[in-house]
Amino acid sequence: MTAQPVSTGTVGIVLVSHSAELARGAADLAAQVSGGTVTIIAAGGTDDGDLGTSAAKVRHALTQAAGEAGVVVLPDLGSAVLTVRAVLEDYGEAESVLLADAPFVEGAVAATVIAAAGGDVKAVAAAAEEARHVRKL
Amino acid sequence: MSASCEQGITLAGDLHARPAGALAVAAGRYVSVVSVTAGGHTADAKSVLGVMGLGATSGQHVTVSAAGPDAPEAVAALIAILSEATKVGGLPDQET
Repeated sequence: MTAQPVSTGTVGIVLVSHSAELARGAADLAAQVSGGTVTIIAAGGTDDGDLGTSAAKVRHALTQAAGEAGVVVLPDLGSAVLTVRAVLEDYGEAESVLLADAPFVEGAVAATVIAAAGGDVKAVAAAAEEARHVRKL
Repeated sequence: MSASCEQGITLAGDLHARPAGALAVAAGRYVSVVSVTAGGHTADAKSVLGVMGLGATSGQHVTVSAAGPDAPEAVAALIAILSEATKVGGLPDQET
């Protein structure tokens, strides 16, 4: 697989889910809502395609999403955090990667919109985390 | 030089996810504080989830307010988006 070119200079987003379909679907939704200008990489499922997370997929996604502006990573459930943290321990540019504690779908959409508007890595992560407090009803 | 301004529009369609996204992306490019008010509720226009949470529907009157150095430009841009993006056929998106 070849990395997608990052031409926009916006913060990249990595969505880590136990389900490949969930990660891909959230990435599609976030891309549509934000206008498609942000690099969003889905890292879902295990290497065998089962439910679970994969360090190799997360590592590859970080490489694809990485640009000058940095990357924000959203895990779907707590145990995905373990996989992301393990990858970040060995990842070269870990200071430009922020792990957001956020609801998965809402956080992905909010983060991507702020990235599309040109927000920096801290603003993008903050938008994801603030999604926790926004009521739908 | 700070300014504040406000303009209203009657929506031609519901404020679904994609129009809300377009609105928030545009609002985020201005330094002014920008808000959207509909049905007695006000949301930060830079928060896509807040804008969607307004649940603004076709025929409803929506007000865009901004305060800051680029307030007039922000209000004009957002009114234009609300006018275009909620129009039937404005975005291929009337169900989302």
